[in-house]
Amino acid sequence: MAATEKEILQVRELTKSFYGVAANDKVSFSLRNGEVHGLLGENGAGKSTLCSILAGLYRPDSGDVILNSERIRFRSPLDASNMGIGMVHQHFKLISSFTVAENMVLGLNAKSRNISLGTVEDEVRELARQYGLDVEPSAHVWQLSVGEQQRVEILRQLFRGARILILDEPTAVLAPQECDRLFEAVRHMVERDHSVILVSHKMDEILSNTDRVTVLVGGRNAGTLRTNETDAAELAKLMIGSDHLPKLANKSLRRFVESTPVLTIRDLEVIGDRGTEAVSGASLEVLSGQIVGVAGVAGNGQREFQQAIVGRRQISGGSIMLRGRDITQLSSRARSRSGLAYVPEDRLGTGLASGLTLEENLILKSYNEPPYSHRGVLSTAVITAAAEKLVKDFDIRGARSGMPVSLMSGGNLQKAILARELSRPHDLLLAASPTRGLDLAATASVRQHIRADTEKGGAVLLFSEDLGEIVELSDLILVLAGGRIVGSYTPATLDISELGLLMTGAKVHN
Amino acid sequence: MSKQFSISPRAVPSWTLRVSVPFAALVAAAIIGGSILALSGSNPLEAYRTMVDASFNGLRPATRTLTLATPLILTGLAAAVAFRMKIWNIGAEGQLYIGAVTASGLALALPTSTPRSITIAILLIGGIAAGAVWAGLAAIPKAYFSADEVITTLMLNFVALSFMNYLIFGTVSYWRNPETRYPEGLQIPENAKLPMISYRLHYGIVIAILAAILIWWILRRTTYGFELRTIGDSQEASRYAGMRVNTKILSVLALSGALAGGAGAIEVSGVVGRLDPHALSTHELGFTGIVVAAVARLNCMTVIPVAVLLAALMTSGSSLQRVLGIQPEIVFFLQGLIFLFVAAGEFFLANKVNITTKAPTRLEVDGGLTGE
Amino acid sequence: MNDTVLVLSVVSAISAGTPILFAALGEITTERSGIMNLGIEGMMLVGAITGFWIGVETENAWLALLGGALGGILLSLIHAVLAISLRVNQIVSGLALVIVGSGLSAFWGNSGDRPTLVQTKTGVRFDPIFPEVIRDLPVVGPVIFGHDPVVYLSWVLVAAISYFLYRTQTGLSLRAVGEDPGAADASGLSVTRYRYVSTLVGGFGAGLGGAYLAIGVIGTWAAGLTAGAGWIAVALVILSGWRPWFALLAAYAFGALRSLGFTLQIAGIGVPSDFLAMIPFIATYLVVIVVSASPTRARKVAGPAALAKPYSREAR
Repeated sequence: MAATEKEILQVRELTKSFYGVAANDKVSFSLRNGEVHGLLGENGAGKSTLCSILAGLYRPDSGDVILNSERIRFRSPLDASNMGIGMVHQHFKLISSFTVAENMVLGLNAKSRNISLGTVEDEVRELARQYGLDVEPSAHVWQLSVGEQQRVEILRQLFRGARILILDEPTAVLAPQECDRLFEAVRHMVERDHSVILVSHKMDEILSNTDRVTVLVGGRNAGTLRTNETDAAELAKLMIGSDHLPKLANKSLRRFVESTPVLTIRDLEVIGDRGTEAVSGASLEVLSGQIVGVAGVAGNGQREFQQAIVGRRQISGGSIMLRGRDITQLSSRARSRSGLAYVPEDRLGTGLASGLTLEENLILKSYNEPPYSHRGVLSTAVITAAAEKLVKDFDIRGARSGMPVSLMSGGNLQKAILARELSRPHDLLLAASPTRGLDLAATASVRQHIRADTEKGGAVLLFSEDLGEIVELSDLILVLAGGRIVGSYTPATLDISELGLLMTGAKVHN
Repeated sequence: MSKQFSISPRAVPSWTLRVSVPFAALVAAAIIGGSILALSGSNPLEAYRTMVDASFNGLRPATRTLTLATPLILTGLAAAVAFRMKIWNIGAEGQLYIGAVTASGLALALPTSTPRSITIAILLIGGIAAGAVWAGLAAIPKAYFSADEVITTLMLNFVALSFMNYLIFGTVSYWRNPETRYPEGLQIPENAKLPMISYRLHYGIVIAILAAILIWWILRRTTYGFELRTIGDSQEASRYAGMRVNTKILSVLALSGALAGGAGAIEVSGVVGRLDPHALSTHELGFTGIVVAAVARLNCMTVIPVAVLLAALMTSGSSLQRVLGIQPEIVFFLQGLIFLFVAAGEFFLANKVNITTKAPTRLEVDGGLTGE
Repeated sequence: MNDTVLVLSVVSAISAGTPILFAALGEITTERSGIMNLGIEGMMLVGAITGFWIGVETENAWLALLGGALGGILLSLIHAVLAISLRVNQIVSGLALVIVGSGLSAFWGNSGDRPTLVQTKTGVRFDPIFPEVIRDLPVVGPVIFGHDPVVYLSWVLVAAISYFLYRTQTGLSLRAVGEDPGAADASGLSVTRYRYVSTLVGGFGAGLGGAYLAIGVIGTWAAGLTAGAGWIAVALVILSGWRPWFALLAAYAFGALRSLGFTLQIAGIGVPSDFLAMIPFIATYLVVIVVSASPTRARKVAGPAALAKPYSREAR
């Protein structure tokens, strides 16, 4: 490839925090002229934040961005664009009711206020031909497929003279054939001396399409390597940061031979928001007293999988049985009453109504059942007493009467959700990233509650991106990638590096 | 160095802030209104004193204020209950008219021998039901096609107004007095009129206050109110908790329309005494209800004093003209100012504004390159 | 021939429709940027009183028109600050504008120190610009050439705004801001600036419409002289699908409705005027429902996607 040693863009000790949490923590990294540079990391590793700073969307708290040996600070995306940096976001920034050509000229600092869309269309056609990004310039964006829209985004950056292109998880939304076309276009770009930053968590993609790769972990640069001098195993190790994995030897193996299945899912098929298949042919079984952990990088069907189980998304095939009863046709409320407890990943907004008080949120699912209400009238004394008991049992702190829960800390919010869900009669607990963003004490407490639930015979299906958590808690570990369950391990058979590879979509044969 | 504003969301406004911000809004409105008065050659202090006298000083002014406050409490509740669920029903005006048309129609239709309590009960229920049905014309498209209720309820206001006008001015309808040359509504019988408390103040005020307490109780103490508040706060969390959002849209708009329709029935039975389009539309009771709800920050109990305040403002206009020769329309301007400042105050309740002194953050390029 | 009922009603439709057209053109510009201003009625009234007052003072019709437009702009500035900077609910802010505008205009219009103002005719008016020979041509004379210059100004504005919205870079940017402020922001457009300017353009249109109504159509000031014209303009924006040329047609159709009752009476057809008055609102009500029920087919006339939604970069 056309990569030279000349560094066109350097990032020095960039730090950016949101609400006191560092998304980028002194990240340094450099981009050479004409190279494809991979940025690899789990969700939340700080890839998107870094790219957003480079594209002028965020301003860094500290650190420098050096472009062509000059220190620069972008005030807006326009500044970045004017200096030749263009970003293609995961969520396209296109106006869907506009044509492709209209989107091209949007925000362009045209000398003449008068635009001739005909000329623009011709120019776009020519660009599209050169880079192999074929798309019809007069079509409206809403008529285009996702792949075509992405080509429009890339063309738009090229049209504006971008020398550096940032592609943020470009293949997350693409079908396999479209991915091949995309990387062909990327090759055309570097041949024409553009530099490309490719953000991804897919190992194969990084290995076969980049010159160098930088691994981000927890907002820090864990290492920059030449792609042809490394391999999937090394990258997976860097990415997972194996140092924080718990010691497996201490874990007692439990047996579930005589247990009955609580949750049985057969050949589940779920369609995602973009109309593509988000979950394909997934089957699993959770036994009484068992914790089944589903490992995987976000965006591989976890959300749709959970929504299908709790009844917030139609399934297109397969069946979901709870204690032998088919629940696929039941409403969310009926599923909850049939014994399904749910701790969603999104605490405020899905798990809790952020403007209501703790007390109100604790009865969000039982408000219309006795003893909390009778004939539509809330029994406030009972509700208050029940809330007080839960606050004590689950050690929920920081609530005042009349105060909206949105003021409480993440750990207490999560305890509140757990308290509500576990205090209701339930057979299965579905938990998604239950400790994300929590401090050590809260994490330990949440995990303790989940474990305690299984000791009473409950079954737990745990989705988490935190591999450490999955390994620590689970009796059975499944790997979800591309909407399929691609691996299954018991603590005894666990091969952590193989699991890491499976998570990133690599093929493993054994 | 330049001054910079940084805005950050305020999680929960303190109690003092929640009182002082609307109060500051009132003061600001009074100052601006006073300046306009002063500019046009009047003494603002004198004007304000006259206004207070005209609306509160003595039994007669006070009852006049409360009489006007009665429908405003109900339309204020109508707006508050819908806005609580983030359903923007701005159709209370039309719902009120339809309620008035129905109630006056029923009052004329019932035999005069019907006992007063039954007559009044029937016409109130009729007005309430009609208001709910009229709101349903916006609720059904909203629930099933997500048709924007702001526009549909707004449009229906004018349809209702024209319809009511037609009944009196457009044709010799059942509602119109066939004997007068100038078109006017037929007087409803005495047994359809709400009994009086004092001067022109009728028992509708009791109904309105009871309605405020009832709605407040429903919102705070019933599963219905619980669902309404939860959906208004977060549709997603409500759906996960198994609430049926669409059904709720229908019932909340119906409830809101019912309150406005009830206000129309009470106006006919307690004040106007016949279907009188001018008397029913002159105070724009439905629109003013939105002002009431907004100034009361959607709190159903606060709606009562706010309605009284705005009613006092509106009734004091004629005295301003009589005593000081000031144009009475100034009171609508003041009302609008209060509305504007309270609306602006919401921002300062929801956000913290910090003023910091900071170096300008322009495009900084070290070493020659000039940012275009 | 020029005295036939049809010709006369077209002429009066154009005259009655022009103030609404100005207001609707302004509101189309405002709403295209994603800001909904329900305060047109208030802005028209303030435009009418300022225009009328300046007309009386200066005896210059054009200055009066300009003054009216300025009055509208000032009022719309309040909406801009509240809705854009303070992110106040746009419905609430717009309604507040109606109340402030009608209160203020009625107060000023009746102010004590100028008691005769109500009765005074301005003495200023707009005269037809074409010579009588042309105006007397059959049919086209009165329909095309018989108007005062402000009517032609409105035609120019329709063409100009249409050209601006669909054929210029700035117009494209403005529509982008109304469709998807996040994407527009990412493209480097200042959402705040576009929204401020187009909200003020909305005030300009409404103020102009109000002033023309007072000076050119009615010829005097009376409290509440708009009689709901501002609300018809709100309806018209939706009915026209946010497109200037359609707004022109709809404005004249509504203008015709205002005079149709009289015409029909002459023709011996008894359609009550109240039912004619309902037509714009019923039509708009039905259009909103039909468009919502068929989102894909009606995409072109469904309005700006981000209409009435406050934008802030942080709240992603």
